[in-house]
Amino acid sequence: MKNKYVFTALMLACIFAFCMGATTLYVHITGEDEHANENLLVVTSFYPTYVATDNVLSGIDGITLKNLSEPQTGCLHDFQLTPEDMRLLSEADVFVINGGGIESFMEDVASAYPNLIIIDACEDVLLLDSENGHVHDEEEAEHEGHSHDEDGNAHAWMSVADYRIQVSTIAQELAQADPAHAETYLANQKQYDDKLAELQQEENELAQMLGHTHVILFHEAYAYLAKDLGLDSCYVLNLDEERSVSAGEVAEVLAEIEEHGVTFILAEGLYGSDLGKLVESESDAAVLYLDTLNRGTYDADSYLNGMRENLSRIREWAQEGE
Amino acid sequence: MDITSWLDYGFMRSALVAILIITPLFGLLGTMIVNKKMAYFSDALGHSALTGIAVGVVCGIPDTTISMVIFAVFFALLLNKIGSMNMASTDTIISVFSSCSVAIGLAILSKGGNFSKYSSILVGDVLSITTKEIGYLLVIFLVTIVFWGVAFNRLNAICIHRALAKSKQIPVHLIENIFAVLVALIVTLSIKWVGILIINALLILPAASARNISVNMREYHLFSLIFAVFSGVLGLFVSYYTNVATGPMIVILASVIYFVTFIYGRTKK
Repeated sequence: MKNKYVFTALMLACIFAFCMGATTLYVHITGEDEHANENLLVVTSFYPTYVATDNVLSGIDGITLKNLSEPQTGCLHDFQLTPEDMRLLSEADVFVINGGGIESFMEDVASAYPNLIIIDACEDVLLLDSENGHVHDEEEAEHEGHSHDEDGNAHAWMSVADYRIQVSTIAQELAQADPAHAETYLANQKQYDDKLAELQQEENELAQMLGHTHVILFHEAYAYLAKDLGLDSCYVLNLDEERSVSAGEVAEVLAEIEEHGVTFILAEGLYGSDLGKLVESESDAAVLYLDTLNRGTYDADSYLNGMRENLSRIREWAQEGE
Repeated sequence: MDITSWLDYGFMRSALVAILIITPLFGLLGTMIVNKKMAYFSDALGHSALTGIAVGVVCGIPDTTISMVIFAVFFALLLNKIGSMNMASTDTIISVFSSCSVAIGLAILSKGGNFSKYSSILVGDVLSITTKEIGYLLVIFLVTIVFWGVAFNRLNAICIHRALAKSKQIPVHLIENIFAVLVALIVTLSIKWVGILIINALLILPAASARNISVNMREYHLFSLIFAVFSGVLGLFVSYYTNVATGPMIVILASVIYFVTFIYGRTKK
């Protein structure tokens, strides 16, 4: 009888000791680098905004830039903040978000940390509509009964023109938030903008090469790229994680290809390839797999490289066709 | 590592309070669920949360917790009713209803490819606990304590011998229904942060572990309560520092306790 209580106490004590030890070890190994208080801590919500902000901040000492722990798959749509993220945000001075409703957790953050300076990179960007890839009409959306934050297409970084606006918004608002470094922010932005302008020039050349034609998109992010390239997206199927395609939708895609004489489709490798293969075998349209640039190496030039690769993939296809 | 730093944040404090309210309830109700062999029943209730949310979305109820609770209560009473009709074996009936309700829920929620919005409910999210929900939990906590004090002996009698209990003028159906409703309420209110996939484990494991080593009702309750609270608080603590989901961490700890007590119980016999 007594033994049992001793045993239980011993068992719980052992488990407790083990957990404490393992946790301490874990925290020790992962090495929490406490950021010094005098530094400005800038947190970005996910990869594209991180790269944009990184370019604006480059070469300035005393500023820490961190990204939220992002999901391993796809976009931010169903991302939940972890306790780690909440802790990071509680120490942050500035939080740079993409905006357009892609950060579904923003309401919680804004109410939890009223003093946090939030920079909405999409503030000055004209967002596209989610369904058909046309410029988002707020009145119409409200008329249909859904608010524009949830249903808009917020993948604005996929358009070089809009991305330039985002970078400039980030730089200007950072300059306001931290006047001491304002000049450097704006100079960095100017420098980065020149590179982006070159990229946009490449885009325009490709657009002339393609001419005005119809295209089908297997991810709504490409609506922005299609806009830049002057393509008319006649059908958008937003494939991402946990989205299964019904047979009816496949039939619709094939019907659209037939009707508009679509010659190519822009798809994402991870989620679009199954349907891509099917469509390629059922029709003459080519499926081009592009990168949505929402994850990758945390390198300052990764946006430029990624976008250039996307463009060259389309260019190669166009040259083959000629 | 600062041992108390996790309590500096409001959301962690609410999580701790919620766990301190909910784990004793899990421990308490779990004892009877294990005794009455209702593990499958509570599992079905957890799954019905999906349908509850779907019903809320279809009816346009902004707070899906309400529709979830209402649906789960309705579902629990329905299962009880059908279970007492003795048509087929109870586990078959529960399985049929459970899968049917999950299918309806999934069909509605996945329409238009939107299921990703709800996938967090599968694993649970400890940050989603609100002060309002803690209030609800507290009310249920008090109600359960009162119910336990008043009706535990009768519930136990029903559990041991249903027909005999009936002959002693015990309102069998009423007490069983109240018990089912309480389970439904607790499951649905804690599902958001524990997650559908593992909520049942949390309800069953502490009681099952306690059963491994107890010889009477008093010990059974005592151990079940201790195990539930212990794994809850320690799980929250570990999950905070290691950055993993809280519900699974708690269940892992509870499972470890189960295995150790199981081995201990076997060697004693």
